[in-house]
Amino acid sequence: MAKAAKTSVEETPPEEGVRRWGMVIDLDRCTGCQACVVACHAENNVPVVGEEESARGRSMHWIRVERYWEGEYPNVKARFMPLLCQQCTQAPCEPVCPVFATYHTPEGLNAQVYNRCIGVRYCANNCPYKVRTFNWFRPQFPEPLDQQLNPDVTTRSRGIIEKCTFCVQRIRRVELDAGAEGRDVHDGEIQPACAQSCPSSALVFGDLNDPDSRVSQLARSRRAFRLLDFLGTDPAVIYLKGGETNV
Amino acid sequence: MAKGLTRRGFLKIAAGAGAATGLSPTVRRVALEPFVRPPEEELPGRATWFASTCRQCPAGCGIIVRVINGRPRKIEGNPAHPLNRGKLCARGQAGLQAVYNPDRLKNAVRQSGGRGSRVFQPIQWEEALVELTTAIQGLQDPRRLALLAGMPPDHLHAIWTRFLQALGAPPPLIFDLHTAMEGRAESAALAERWFGEVNLPIYDLANADVIFSFGANFLETWMSPVAQSVDYGQMRQGRLGGRGFLVQFESRLSATAASADEWIPVEPGTEGLVALALGRLIVEENLGRVGRHREHAHLYRNINVSDAVEASGIPAEEMMRLARIFADAERQVAIPGGHLAGHTNGPQAMDAVMALNVVMRRLGREGGLFLPQPVPAKRFAKPVLPSRFAQVERLIERMQAGEVEVLLIHGTNPVYELPAWVGFQEALAQVPLVISFSPFVDETAVQADLVLPDHTYLEGWGYQLVTPGADRPVISGQQPVMEPLYDTRATGDVFLALAARLGGDAAQALPWPDEVSFLEESSAQLHDNSVSAYDARTPAGFWSRWRQFGGWWSKRAIRREPEVVRSSRTAIHVPLPLYRGAVEQYPFHLVPYPSITLSDGRGANQPWLQETPDPMTTARWNTWIELNPETARDLGVDDNDLVKVISPFGKLQAAVVVYPGIRPDTVAIPTGQGHQDYGRFAAGRGAKVIDLLGPAAAGEAGRFAFGATRVRIEKVGAVRPLARLEDLDGEGRENIR
Amino acid sequence: MSDQTPIAGEEEMAELSPDLRDEYEGRLLLAQRKDWEINEAVLRPMMETGPRFWIAVAVLGAIVAWGLYAWGYMVYYGLGAAGINRPVYWGLFIATFVFWVGISHAGTMISAVLRLLKADWRRPITRGAEAMTAFALMMAGLYPLIHLGRVWKFYWMIPYPNNRFMWPNFQSPLMWDMVAIFTYLIGSSLYLYLALIPDLAMARDHTKGWRYKLYRTFALGWRGTEGEWHKLHRALGIFSVVIIPVFLSVHSIVSWDFAVTIQPRWHSSIFAPYFVMGAVYSGLAALATILVVVRSGMRLQEFLRAEHFDALGKLVMVAGMGWIYLWFAGFIVEWYGKDPVIMELIHDEISGKLAPFFWLQMVANVLPVILLAFRKIRTNTKMLLALTLLVNVGMFTERVLIVVGNLQRNYLPFDWGSYRPTWVEVSIVAMTFAGFILLYLLFSRIVPYVPVWEIKEGRLRYSLRRIGRLLVPTAAEIE
Repeated sequence: MAKAAKTSVEETPPEEGVRRWGMVIDLDRCTGCQACVVACHAENNVPVVGEEESARGRSMHWIRVERYWEGEYPNVKARFMPLLCQQCTQAPCEPVCPVFATYHTPEGLNAQVYNRCIGVRYCANNCPYKVRTFNWFRPQFPEPLDQQLNPDVTTRSRGIIEKCTFCVQRIRRVELDAGAEGRDVHDGEIQPACAQSCPSSALVFGDLNDPDSRVSQLARSRRAFRLLDFLGTDPAVIYLKGGETNV
Repeated sequence: MAKGLTRRGFLKIAAGAGAATGLSPTVRRVALEPFVRPPEEELPGRATWFASTCRQCPAGCGIIVRVINGRPRKIEGNPAHPLNRGKLCARGQAGLQAVYNPDRLKNAVRQSGGRGSRVFQPIQWEEALVELTTAIQGLQDPRRLALLAGMPPDHLHAIWTRFLQALGAPPPLIFDLHTAMEGRAESAALAERWFGEVNLPIYDLANADVIFSFGANFLETWMSPVAQSVDYGQMRQGRLGGRGFLVQFESRLSATAASADEWIPVEPGTEGLVALALGRLIVEENLGRVGRHREHAHLYRNINVSDAVEASGIPAEEMMRLARIFADAERQVAIPGGHLAGHTNGPQAMDAVMALNVVMRRLGREGGLFLPQPVPAKRFAKPVLPSRFAQVERLIERMQAGEVEVLLIHGTNPVYELPAWVGFQEALAQVPLVISFSPFVDETAVQADLVLPDHTYLEGWGYQLVTPGADRPVISGQQPVMEPLYDTRATGDVFLALAARLGGDAAQALPWPDEVSFLEESSAQLHDNSVSAYDARTPAGFWSRWRQFGGWWSKRAIRREPEVVRSSRTAIHVPLPLYRGAVEQYPFHLVPYPSITLSDGRGANQPWLQETPDPMTTARWNTWIELNPETARDLGVDDNDLVKVISPFGKLQAAVVVYPGIRPDTVAIPTGQGHQDYGRFAAGRGAKVIDLLGPAAAGEAGRFAFGATRVRIEKVGAVRPLARLEDLDGEGRENIR
Repeated sequence: MSDQTPIAGEEEMAELSPDLRDEYEGRLLLAQRKDWEINEAVLRPMMETGPRFWIAVAVLGAIVAWGLYAWGYMVYYGLGAAGINRPVYWGLFIATFVFWVGISHAGTMISAVLRLLKADWRRPITRGAEAMTAFALMMAGLYPLIHLGRVWKFYWMIPYPNNRFMWPNFQSPLMWDMVAIFTYLIGSSLYLYLALIPDLAMARDHTKGWRYKLYRTFALGWRGTEGEWHKLHRALGIFSVVIIPVFLSVHSIVSWDFAVTIQPRWHSSIFAPYFVMGAVYSGLAALATILVVVRSGMRLQEFLRAEHFDALGKLVMVAGMGWIYLWFAGFIVEWYGKDPVIMELIHDEISGKLAPFFWLQMVANVLPVILLAFRKIRTNTKMLLALTLLVNVGMFTERVLIVVGNLQRNYLPFDWGSYRPTWVEVSIVAMTFAGFILLYLLFSRIVPYVPVWEIKEGRLRYSLRRIGRLLVPTAAEIE
């Protein structure tokens, strides 16, 4: 975990109070129910593309639940793995963008600057988790479905990349509110839409730089692993592998 | 070379330029700040939050809705609500798309071109009420008025019951496919047989260490999936007592079975036989830690374990191993699920599962089985439960015979949800006046004369007695989070207005000017109650806190231990399941299962739910047919190949999903698609599996045996790619992970 | 240069036996021609534009117009009009881009490298090769625009000063790409133009009307003085040296677009030399194809002789050997690496769904190497045409396999994908092929296709010398 706590601020050691937002995903709890997927659509104005485009691999989910089969009938198992932007510390998407539309915030988030993106899709190719989605067409929100759009999140135009932000608008709002009240942000006060909805609490969000936060505690679990760790991307998402019960 | 620029000089400059541009590590500093920190002077809209109740399924989860500028933007679970504890499922999240559905009815309409014409003419509500009043006054006999509803909010059910009672009409009939497929009515009947009480038992999943689930997809659609998923998370990793063990008995690997530790693929309809055999083994071998089982020996008289072995396909030693796993646990529980209700031996199979809990003395114990504590007020005492299917059949017979003059339909879509063999649509043609209260033009509204659209649930009032699921008595309150978008009217108000117009008994039975006053008065019954989670000095204050909290619940967990009233001397007998369709002609079992996103089809008009992949197949926007790889090979079909599924009662055509988690003799098809109407996102998409079903086998009339039809499969020879999230490309995909 | 000047060596040639004379006459730089004959032979086909020419222009123009429509359609509706998807975010556009950049490499190879090596057989084909470079680069340069999601913001890639201090990211290989391609395009265009000046002056002296005005403008008042020639040679000498690193870097950088990612199979250190060698291979093959076609189309048999095709054929063969070597060097390491994703890709290529493309690539790239070892085949223009076309089919397939084939697989098998181009992509790719041919056609009718001065200069080096009683062809050192 010491490694995950390393922030992108290379020259200076992490200052007091610099946060490292991270998420723990407990695969033992995940039931594949897709609540996170719809919650994300609702929170982040993620468009729906329809059957034809979905069939062509153009759906826009910022979080998806991957399902892997193991074994053959009758000893077959299916395992679920929710996949969202891993908010890598050494993000492969960042250096390849020719116009700095992918950017690393001091809090360790990979921000996507929509109005700077020109749509070369290089970041998407270089993302080993394939979590960046591209606006192949102009997003459609047939009236009055557009009245649902979350005003805290901009809608995106055609021709640009978008992706999970860890619900940065929620982070900012809580930070602003806490600042206005002159207090610190409590652990668990900030919840991205996916973690908030997750019925079995498989997703937990928090500050990895705070050793007492719930994510930090969970991340120290013996079950913890990071996806495609060998690529050296140093993700901020930590998975806990499924458990076994002996009977 | 010239003196001006030497080669060496050029190289130096080139190297310097290279270092200054590409190689400098400071480049990262020259970055953009994304526009996520709003400018100081900009005031983002402040959100208002309203607590209400989700109505996307009958579970009754508490929600809080984020409203900005008078428009709900996001639905979240109500953290204070004891049922869902701040969590919400995919369907609950998508409720916004019911409100903002572009295909909603904007006012009351008359189908001016005749039924089925889809030509709708707006009418004034006054006109609609006059017509309704006249029709009811003109009835020869009040019993010729019928009300068919899908699981309504309890306040509406209360208003209806009073209304119909006052008129002398039969009580409301409750049917919808969702509750039919989760076996809600059968579960209540099971509790009545065993515990003498028509109620839904609560299974304490969070604290159980071994869970045997017989066809209960409790993480998807069964009963209260959010509450059960919260408990499931606890059972897996959330408690000190160690990780629980879940065994799922069903013919198809559902998402719930995928989360289980073991999946036991039994032949459809033999789950009860397996449960019975397990119980027999426990009693016979004296397994477990609860002492001797002599008192329950009678339950298992004349049981032959080998019968179950033969019928279910589970080997005897496997049966013994499972019996030991169950019996040796400290806190085990067995759940009779919805699939059981779909077979001719449903009630007996559920009895056999319940007997496992009784034998292991799991009633009223941690990690066992409870009954809900009633809400301490008369008006909330009894939960609404679906009617028995026989009553639905009886209604259709009466309609067919012309004994129903006015049919009111609310919250259900029987033309779509009832199988074709029932003949609902034909019977509907014999009813002179059909009125639908649907906010959408669904298949039933298309067969109605008048459509008087109700508000969607985010615009309307109500309350709901939460059952089953919570560890305490809960009434979930529903309140509008926004002004109604259109000229729709709450059905409760319509009935109150109708009662006032009709005068007499009806007006006396329903004296309230609107449903809000009815709700306020109802809430007052709980004012000053000692177990309330909150209280107020005045009833008005209490009512405002009710709305603030999103309902009423007790401040502490109260669950009841069920008392067995069933005689332990009565043996359980689970007959072999009977199927429609001869095995020679129709070699496959058909397993229709409720879609986790679209449920019984009510979610099909919400694009988020259409776009959300099925967790197992990752398919969306259409219907598919799940075949075991071996079966697919035998039939010579592969993924995305179109096949026909033919039963003695109907056929459909859809693309194949080669599915490793299904018995080779079984075919599974999800419900939810195959709408003819119901708006742009639903209409003309996929096929309707319910129409393949036939009536239950002879001697089992009055049962909706949705799992007891056999089918055959024919290759079409065409390909229709499904919109799957997972691309099927790549032969070696299984080798990698 | 007047007609009266006696041709050096004319008398000696007359003394030779007919066999030997035929052999020496068969060599361009030894053949006895008067200067005016050469001028005439170059200028005549340039002026003649028959109906076949105009039909070709019309057809090609129509294809280009259709391609522009397809592009407009895609810009208007969004990049979804193309067949790309998640995870195949780059498709035919980028593959074709790589192909065109590859083609562009032959021009420099021929004129700069062979000029430095003093390979005199290059002389009649330098212009054709340089023009190919320039036009192929123009076509290649379109693709970075075409494949942008928001093409109207393309200028954000350019480091222009602005009051928001927003700069492009020089860490991104796409920036290197842009810089390299612009540099190469400017360099190779200048190189083409410099060598063109004396011939434009020659054309100016032999034409009237609009052509005269055009040539007068672009000949920059060239008179052919000693000083002018000296400066031209100096300039060409510098360019020949400077452009070689550019030439090597361009395709290296294109390869780094792929190699610096962590996509399995792209992330490979062999990619830069492999791409450069592939570029030279496909470019030389394309040049041979073009020369065969131009020779018959413009009746340039006088200048494009068996000796040139022979030499070019050898060069193609050597480049092909190099390509095979580097391909194998990459493949063997991948094979022994046994990375599961890479093994899946290799399996896909050898026996999976990519097999037709892979085997087409292998046959099309290896077979010519074997056959071009024979002089008879090298000097048979029909065979040469067929084989070099085959090379480019193979190299195009290779680009598609590298870009599209590899993107279909990644470390998460759930997110594997497949790709099928749409009419938009096919139309736009056809547009660049048609556009290239069209530009080349027009170019060949506007400027002297054969560098007259280079031939004349070469001819000065070669003569028959009498050594004792023998007459032998000799080359003099004149630079």
